[in-house]
Amino acid sequence: MTLLDVDGIDGYYGESHIIQDVSMTVDEGEITALLGRNGAGKTSTLRCISGATPPEVRDGTIRFDGTDITNQPPEDIAVRGISLVPEERRVFTDLTVAENLHLAETVRNKSNTWNRGLEFKDEGMSTDEIYEFFPRLDERREQKAGTLSGGEQQMLAIARALHQSTDLLMLDEPYEGLAPQIIEAVENAIERISENGTTVLLVEQNAVAAMKIADRCYVLDRGEVVFEGAADELRANDEIRDRYLGV
Amino acid sequence: MSLLSQILTILLNGLQQGAIYVLLAVGLSIILGTLKFVNFAHGALYLLGAYLGLFITTEVQLTNGMLPEWGITTFGLGLGFLAALLIVPLVTFVVGIVMERFVAKPFYDRPDTDQILVTFGLAVIFQEALRALIGGDSQSLPQPAWASGPIALPIIGNFPRWRLGVIVITALLVLFVYALVEYTDFGLIVRAGTMDSEMVRLLGIRLDRPYLVVFGIGAALAGIAGVVGGPLANVNPNIGTEQLVPAFLTVVIGGVGKIEGAVLAGLLLGTLQVLLIQTGFAAWNRVGIYVLAAVILLVRPQGLLGSEVDVE
Repeated sequence: MTLLDVDGIDGYYGESHIIQDVSMTVDEGEITALLGRNGAGKTSTLRCISGATPPEVRDGTIRFDGTDITNQPPEDIAVRGISLVPEERRVFTDLTVAENLHLAETVRNKSNTWNRGLEFKDEGMSTDEIYEFFPRLDERREQKAGTLSGGEQQMLAIARALHQSTDLLMLDEPYEGLAPQIIEAVENAIERISENGTTVLLVEQNAVAAMKIADRCYVLDRGEVVFEGAADELRANDEIRDRYLGV
Repeated sequence: MSLLSQILTILLNGLQQGAIYVLLAVGLSIILGTLKFVNFAHGALYLLGAYLGLFITTEVQLTNGMLPEWGITTFGLGLGFLAALLIVPLVTFVVGIVMERFVAKPFYDRPDTDQILVTFGLAVIFQEALRALIGGDSQSLPQPAWASGPIALPIIGNFPRWRLGVIVITALLVLFVYALVEYTDFGLIVRAGTMDSEMVRLLGIRLDRPYLVVFGIGAALAGIAGVVGGPLANVNPNIGTEQLVPAFLTVVIGGVGKIEGAVLAGLLLGTLQVLLIQTGFAAWNRVGIYVLAAVILLVRPQGLLGSEVDVE
């Protein structure tokens, strides 16, 4: 079943037309990868989906679980069950690990005054489940997030996203700047998250690593989709790999 | 008077002088740090606080301005100082909320210069409207009877009771705001919002309401500063603009968005001013705080307790 349906969107930064008629679908339970070189429009596409502005979507629609979420505010989209692990992690460096996670948890607290009026889809993972899933974070609960290593910050960013009510986890370049053995640990975490039933949309420049765990792939080039198909098809398509991914 | 008692007197007077800066700067700093909004109308909130305090506390005889021309020669409720201390923060909190909605919000995404122009313009309109209505005469806001006269302190000797009161009230308010920011969900959201507001929203947290409250708290603190600072000097339409620049200086020296920074910087500026006044350099006291500010900012552009990131 289609969970996310991006239908012919055009995204603009001011007057620059950077996303051109992009269509893609993400099926429930699968890992979908959005690949492409630096500047291909991957991050902008994720920003369009998550409601972050800019870019502004001027044409086309984005549907999540059947509901039109195009150009809605990011907080409204997030509580519907879409969570984003952004490029460069963006953990709150001056807050502790526990505070970073608690922040994501306040969202699920329906009685929280600050969120009255938002519609919550369902519950995310509990704090205990999170720490069980990422034992390393458990050890560093009281440590400031800014003092964590790159890999640990990535884990925290993923944990924070899972702590929200998430049906669709979107990861933007989760392997960026990480050592090979850490990449493997993150890969492993994404696969376990997927096995637990969360749908994953993975944006990566590192196409080889992404194809390893993805079910379906999209390749973007200069804001347009130039390939869509199963990961196996992409692995077999030398021309696309060579031309747009450089692998 | 022994040297020790002289030093302690200067420190205590510095604390009192700095306390007003701290009250103004804490509000200004959390508004600037969280909402990235440059509020040049913050001084007008101080002015509003002082005049509200005056009119709630006593009945004032008016001789200049349009009100006496219209036949209103006495104005005020005469409810006493305590009433002013309770009512003013409530009123200025509401004024702050209205300001956030109708003045600040439409300008969040506009350049700082636009924010400065609109808020400074508003402040001038308020100040001049006030002057037109009640004239530019200085009025005195009487000290509360229960805090008048001197109090005998160990080592220092006699110290004005109200000055000590200002220090105590400021300390309590700062502790309250600090606790709110450090130990509540509201504070967690505000702190995270100061670091990366878009990420907070991407987590599914609606920031409008916390922002509204932040603005309200900042305005309420400025209002209280006007009431408690009122009896220490004359109340006239210029006091808002006079306090604005030192308050901004305090924010920048302390580090934008840092409550501890605002406290430290406020006390530093206050103490320096008092030191210059009491050692025969009274004429240089304003110059002194700017020199100190310049030196600190040259050495630490992010302010005393500001993080490196804030400079960007």
